[in-house]
Amino acid sequence: MTQTAPNPAADGPVLEVRDLAVEFPSHRGTVTPVRGVSFTLARRQRLGIVGESGAGKSLTALALMRLLPFPGRVVGGEVRLGGRDLMRLSEREMAAVRGGRMALVYQDPMSSLNPVHSVGRQIVEAIRAHEDVSRRVARARAVELLGDVGLSSPARRFESYPHQFSGGMRQRVMIAMAISAGPDVLIADEPTTALDVTTQARIIDVLSRLVDERDMAVLLITHDLGLAASFCEDVHVMYAGRIVEQSPAEPLFARPVHPYTEALLNAICRLDHDVDRPIAAIPGQPPLPQHLPDGCPFHPRCPHAIAVCSREVPDLHVLADGRTAECHLAEARAVAAA
Amino acid sequence: MGSYVLKRVAVSIALLIISSILIFCLMRVIPGDPTITKVAGASGNAASVRALRAVRHELGLDQSLPAQYVHWVGGILRGDFGESYYSQFPVTKLISQRIGATLELAVLSLIIGVLMAVPAAVISAIWRNRAFDALLSAFTAIGMATPAFVTGIVLIVVFGVKLNLLPTQGYVSITHHPIESLKTAVLPSITLAIAIAAPLLRILDASLDDVASAPYIRTAAGKGLLRRQVVMRHLLPNATIPALTMLGVIIGSLLGGTVIVEYVFARPGLGTLVVDSVFKRDYAVLQTLVLLAAATFILSSLAIDLLYGVIDPRLRVRGSEAAR
Amino acid sequence: MTSVAASLDVVVSPRRRAEGLVRLLRRPAAAVSFVVVSALVFGSVAAPLVAPYPKNQFDVNHLFGPPTLAHPFGTDELGRDLLTRVLYGGRTSLEIAALATALAMAVGAVWGFTAAFHRGWLDELLMRIADLTLGMPVILLGLVLVAAFGSSTKSIILILGILFTPATARLARSSLLAELETDYYLAAVSVGAPPWRIILKELLPNTTPVLLARASIVAADAIFVEASLSFVGLGVQPPAASWGTLLERGYSVLYSSYWYPIFPGIVILVAVLALNTLGDNLQRVLDPARR
Repeated sequence: MTQTAPNPAADGPVLEVRDLAVEFPSHRGTVTPVRGVSFTLARRQRLGIVGESGAGKSLTALALMRLLPFPGRVVGGEVRLGGRDLMRLSEREMAAVRGGRMALVYQDPMSSLNPVHSVGRQIVEAIRAHEDVSRRVARARAVELLGDVGLSSPARRFESYPHQFSGGMRQRVMIAMAISAGPDVLIADEPTTALDVTTQARIIDVLSRLVDERDMAVLLITHDLGLAASFCEDVHVMYAGRIVEQSPAEPLFARPVHPYTEALLNAICRLDHDVDRPIAAIPGQPPLPQHLPDGCPFHPRCPHAIAVCSREVPDLHVLADGRTAECHLAEARAVAAA
Repeated sequence: MGSYVLKRVAVSIALLIISSILIFCLMRVIPGDPTITKVAGASGNAASVRALRAVRHELGLDQSLPAQYVHWVGGILRGDFGESYYSQFPVTKLISQRIGATLELAVLSLIIGVLMAVPAAVISAIWRNRAFDALLSAFTAIGMATPAFVTGIVLIVVFGVKLNLLPTQGYVSITHHPIESLKTAVLPSITLAIAIAAPLLRILDASLDDVASAPYIRTAAGKGLLRRQVVMRHLLPNATIPALTMLGVIIGSLLGGTVIVEYVFARPGLGTLVVDSVFKRDYAVLQTLVLLAAATFILSSLAIDLLYGVIDPRLRVRGSEAAR
Repeated sequence: MTSVAASLDVVVSPRRRAEGLVRLLRRPAAAVSFVVVSALVFGSVAAPLVAPYPKNQFDVNHLFGPPTLAHPFGTDELGRDLLTRVLYGGRTSLEIAALATALAMAVGAVWGFTAAFHRGWLDELLMRIADLTLGMPVILLGLVLVAAFGSSTKSIILILGILFTPATARLARSSLLAELETDYYLAAVSVGAPPWRIILKELLPNTTPVLLARASIVAADAIFVEASLSFVGLGVQPPAASWGTLLERGYSVLYSSYWYPIFPGIVILVAVLALNTLGDNLQRVLDPARR
């Protein structure tokens, strides 16, 4: 799995997210599953966001696209795509952005395609939503895209219906649909979770190739650390609605700073481990958004917690090499690990 | 697709046959003898045994049950539905006299009812206004709880008695005088339309809700489609599929509703004929009408099933091509 | 026996009844409809105590009188107070509805449970028979049955019972089938508990709430159909009076005394609406999937 060296283009980051917060009001009280997320995405960069289920990763992706399910809403922060704050756009303007400048590939290919329209028709619809081309031209492009994502006999596949495809094929169609209008940013939310392992590898290959060919930036959301390690240049770790560590991939996996990242890595079973060695699972459960502990949200499960961790929420500590972590012990740990 | 059509047609024919047998048997095992009513009605006092026997023979009631059934079915296939026990009129003539009133009512009610329910459901889906949705829920609940004759009476009182705007009874054939005909049909059609629109709206809303939470709707929005486009191209088509089943039930309600509505508005249609023949125990007419109702219902179900086959590709094309 | 009994008690199935009632009454719509239904039942049952006038008191000076303070609903063709007539009419209507519902529930439950237990060809047959009446308009079927059985209070109860049995049978069958799939049922069987115990302690308590919720809706339908049949003169026969017959009387004087049919009509509407809402909410409370 090759990694393209990041190319911090002169024109600055393509996506800048600052203090994004999402809340879900209900008559039982308001829940805030995303509590101030900030990151930037440069052109052609491959960024991974990892974390357990419930950390708020998918909601972040949906928030970026302003596709939050009712009654969720974005309550703070800004999302700048090419300089424009997406949160301030009208619904119409946002519709033009969706698919056109930023696209989302979803986790569940089985039910993410409309069962009564042919696959080709759905791709054509995506193309014509952003470009004024004739149906014939759009159809030709769609067929070409179907070939690009690795489907055989694309012309015949065009007429087929989603229920005639396997999961892996449907995900290829989803990818084709997402890139059809040439977006600058592709968000992939757990794109391979619902697929079996061999298919996963193939889909990632397709994704990798397409991203390189089309100069897209990718935001890969996953709970699969191995996938993040091999695909991404930079990785952000998310916990309880906040990003707790940001780092390029290699140092993150070799010398994690935040105790949560370290615990995640320790929990991975490796083939060269002794089979009798117990799995180092992280004790406890991730906190529910409505019951966050005082101070650092991870402290109840953290083996290195000290007194201040239960009282004060840690600030963002920027380390010497540019990595960041939200931990009271960040500097100490970074020095110790080096 | 071909086998699907064949299967459905075969089942429909079987259902028709079974229904006819059931209806026939039900009419015959009845305690109570139409002959007595007829003969007694004519002479006003207890009839002699011989007179009864004569009438029985005349009406063919002294033959064995299966023989009577075959006789009946044979007649039907020839287009002869027998004669009213009461009036000796051929049943076909009775029906043709009255079918115009019923058809006009049924068609108008269906159109008005659908025009009430569908746009309301679509607006509710696009607009997503809590107050509007609450209003619709209230309408549905009350509409489904109010018997048609209550609605009818209210309309008669408001528009007929108080405002004296529209005729509240009778019927004018549309071929004779279109305007007058429509005037007599307005109030009954609205009454029946409300009775259909309420359950239709409920099923449409539920169906729209169901589909709205499906992942592919989010995909459609994610592609950059406008709200309106998502609703019209993805939400509605998929939501109508389950609503189509309800249409079958709606047609059933139409059949039942016309009886009551025609009665309330004194409209001489097939509905009032049904009530009349129950009163008079005129089984010949009654069994034909019920058979007609059953046939209408079975055929409309068939039509809906075939429509399903056209709309839903999952029924048309089997998913046999899934390959890696 | 005692060891089996003891082990059966260990295998506990969730009891949905008690907490359901409390949760039900928290919903405003359910609470209101519960009060309304209770008021209607009380008004009818206690009619002799509650009605403003004696049942048959008539006043020839006030025939077809409009609503006044003395007669809130007006008076009928014999000068009898209509409010009183409606209260007493409620006795007939509600009694018919209750008995018909009980009949439909009992027969339907036996029918459905038998089908569910047996599976196989009996199930198929029983359900096909039930399906025959599905979708056919109830009024039409009702009329046909009236032609068959005649119209009297007793026959109406029978007819209504017959009309609503198939749908109840379907519900009983599907709810029992769901119970038979559960782990605690399988556990009870594998522990060796005798069938009657399983039925009594596991199956019945878990299927009854669903059926009871449905009963409320069936009762609403029964009132609806009885009123319709009586309205066309084929239901309850004089001298018995129900809401439907009152409407029928009122209909004949619609042009001169329009209030006559309106009040019974509103009462029918309210009764059906309240029972429907109650049943609907009961169903939602019992089945978390439907929320």
